Amino acid sequence: MKWYSAMIATGLALMPASAFSAFPDYYPPDYQAIVDAATAEGKVVLYAPLSTTTLRPLIEGFQAEYPGITVELNDLNTVVIYNRFISEAAGGAQSADVLWSSALDLQAKLVTDGHSLDYASPESAHLPDWAVWQGKGAYGTTFEPMIFAYNKDALKPEQVPQTHADIARLITENLDTFSGRIASYNIETAGLGFFAITQDSKIFPEFWTLARALGAASSRFYSSTGEMIESIASGENVFGYNQPSHASSYGRDNPSLGIVFPQDYLVIASRMAFVTAKAQNPNAGKLFLDYMLSQRGQQIIDGMGFHSLRDDVTGPMTREDLTKTYGDRLKPPVMGPGLLEFLDQDKRLEFLNTWKSSLSAGQ
Amino acid sequence: MVMNPSRAVVILVTAGAVCLPLGILFYQSVLSGPFFHADSHFTLDAFGFVLRDPEFWVALRNSLLVATGMLVVALPLGALLALLVARTDIPGRGVLEPLILVPILVSPVVLALGYVVAAGPVGFYTVWSKQLFGVAPWNIYSPVAIAVIGGLSHVPYVFLYVSTALKGVGSDVEEAARTTGAGPLRVALDVNLPLVAPALMFSAVLVFFAGVEMFGLALVLGNSNNFSMLAVYLYKLTTRLGVPAYHLMATVAVLIVLLTFPLVMLQRHYLKVADKFVTVRGKAARQRPLTLGAWRYPALMLALAWLAVTVIVPISGITLRAFVTYWGPNVNLFDVLTLDQFRFVFSEPVLVRGIRNSVLIGVVGGGLAVACYAAIAFAAHRRNDEWTHLMDYLILVPRAIPGLLAGLAFLWVFLFISPLAPLRATLFSIWLAYTVVWLPYGARLVSSSLVQVGKELEEAAVSIGATRRRAMFDVTLPLIRVGLLTSWLLVFLMFEREYSTGVYLLTSGTEVIGALLVTLSETGSMNQVAALAVINLVLIGIGVITAFRFGVRLHG
Repeated sequence: MKWYSAMIATGLALMPASAFSAFPDYYPPDYQAIVDAATAEGKVVLYAPLSTTTLRPLIEGFQAEYPGITVELNDLNTVVIYNRFISEAAGGAQSADVLWSSALDLQAKLVTDGHSLDYASPESAHLPDWAVWQGKGAYGTTFEPMIFAYNKDALKPEQVPQTHADIARLITENLDTFSGRIASYNIETAGLGFFAITQDSKIFPEFWTLARALGAASSRFYSSTGEMIESIASGENVFGYNQPSHASSYGRDNPSLGIVFPQDYLVIASRMAFVTAKAQNPNAGKLFLDYMLSQRGQQIIDGMGFHSLRDDVTGPMTREDLTKTYGDRLKPPVMGPGLLEFLDQDKRLEFLNTWKSSLSAGQ
Repeated sequence: MVMNPSRAVVILVTAGAVCLPLGILFYQSVLSGPFFHADSHFTLDAFGFVLRDPEFWVALRNSLLVATGMLVVALPLGALLALLVARTDIPGRGVLEPLILVPILVSPVVLALGYVVAAGPVGFYTVWSKQLFGVAPWNIYSPVAIAVIGGLSHVPYVFLYVSTALKGVGSDVEEAARTTGAGPLRVALDVNLPLVAPALMFSAVLVFFAGVEMFGLALVLGNSNNFSMLAVYLYKLTTRLGVPAYHLMATVAVLIVLLTFPLVMLQRHYLKVADKFVTVRGKAARQRPLTLGAWRYPALMLALAWLAVTVIVPISGITLRAFVTYWGPNVNLFDVLTLDQFRFVFSEPVLVRGIRNSVLIGVVGGGLAVACYAAIAFAAHRRNDEWTHLMDYLILVPRAIPGLLAGLAFLWVFLFISPLAPLRATLFSIWLAYTVVWLPYGARLVSSSLVQVGKELEEAAVSIGATRRRAMFDVTLPLIRVGLLTSWLLVFLMFEREYSTGVYLLTSGTEVIGALLVTLSETGSMNQVAALAVINLVLIGIGVITAFRFGVRLHG
């Protein structure tokens, strides 16, 4: 029976190759071998904090290109992805082939603990340097600026902060308007919030003034992105600091929600992806990773609202557009050991304590 | 006496199902790192860290306060509603009964979101109240509101246990009191209340545990305003140190379990006298509703007021939200009405799969779970040995562990207990976790029916030559079949909306609606969350109506 199934597998593998004629010319000549092996594996298991609804275009795009391979998405939050993956790895159980998560510190921890497969994607050369973790097979896949959001009915145009420095100033000038009505991430529960705040603390010299002002305004800190954005759109809160970039897509549907790209600098968040070291379907994993990083995949990711990091993708607010405006005031995260900085327990607790005492000092 | 082998099996399996995950947590709490890492060693540092952490004490204090508040709200109200609906001629009994169950159908996160939309600072009712009266004198984010909402939403549980207990009370005892000139209130206080004391005691412990373990409400209503509770503290521990600190999380769980000991002891003390409350005797006693007289409409008003605050406000909030794209004080809702969110949800294949899985785990899994709960209840029935004491504790303790951590413990059980490993990726693992986590609710539903069956009925069967087993199947089981069917319906509801326990065990293809709701609200848009929540409510409502059509009654 073996020759029989091998023939079917080969047949399936040849179909997409003939349909799309060839891979980009910079792909290695033996790439078809990965495709064949992946088709024999038949599926790729993906852990990501994204719903099937959000990911559907990417999955459909991938399956159109490789019809023999199904994508099994496990939609889990970032902490669950980490807990579940290390437990499964320790128990020697079946786990994810590709981990794709916005929790850069946890992803970096997994990579440095040896859980990533050192796979050099042929797309590497077409990515910005910061998005490639050389020798570890881990890649940044998206380009998601942290932005401000506000309620257009509640704030006058001159009350809307345009820079990080504006926030503290406008809070002081309009304390009644802002008091109890500023929303941001709870940095103790939301990894993205913690990441963005620590970046701000390094980039923005008056960060601790900002923290005290947020405290003075009795700001409210959320764990859930949906609730946070909703609270600004409804007018329960009037201003949101450090909002994720896909808040802007809600702004299109909701005339009350205003979006500001801070003018002084943009902290960029990204989602790190890698094939796992002990993946059961390593070839399908590589194929999926390459697809995510490819021009076609990035075009789809851009359409999903996560912004492409490639130069050859067109769309609203691509990295190229933002680079024209911001130049070196874009602050993307370098995929590398630097992401581990705040995993040091003492350092992390110290930061959290300073943050909290600044908040209460402002009150 | 040699223990009956089937009883021994039941006790052993129950002990295993409860103690394995619990044992892993205890073991994890005295280590320096993840138990599966070779360099973890024995230490009590985790206890030192937690006990020295001022935030733990704040969270503990808040949890105890909220739990007490919930108790004060839920217990009298639930007992009173049970009495009114089960034993009096309050108008509209038949309609009230299923309505009282509605809060059980709604997961706490959805309930909280509903309150935000309806009664938050810019909620629909708040805005209307300000327009009409100039004020809206409530704040859903205050600790008092959290305790009151938590208490109100736990009224159905108290209602269930108490009304099941009341079901057995023959009218003879009440009438005896009425003939001596006692009014309805006096009958309730002096006759019914003592008869349902064990059910009340158990409800009290459960509500208190639910308060200690409360997560969804605490996170949505409390956390954004800096009001921490134990489960939220636990949640923060996963990210506060960067990498999830299992030893600290396990330590908090162990401390919560230790906290529950005195409560279970207290409960045990009250149940010692359980035989006093036998109400299904060998002699037939017909039930006639108590006449309320002039109290009929005030009683109805009370029931309706509770329904308005607990059911109508949050559910109308989430329903309204499902039909609009956005909202706020300056938005004319008629301008933004839409069905798009429903169209979108129905175009989702994942949702269809989610519905199928939810129904499967609720209906089939719920039925199997009730069978297990019945076996457990029988194993402890009419015996007062140390094994029964052990079972009493085993049954209660799972509810004290916050759901997310219980889920993680079950993942470990299925990963590291090798005979169970092949079952991890199947629905069985999820079913087992759900069954254990809801054990206190389910086992009690069954045993509260059981405790009312007079032992002379079984003894009668035994005296004419039946074995104990035969007596159980032919006498006791038929007598409690309404109780079993009701338990099935309720376990179906609890399984249907459960999420956190399954999060570590769910895989692609085994999505359930509860999970989709929570993940969507974490990352996505509230439009879809609201629409999905409404669809889920409708589906569960259909399930409940069907069950009632097929003759399920909360009381005969």
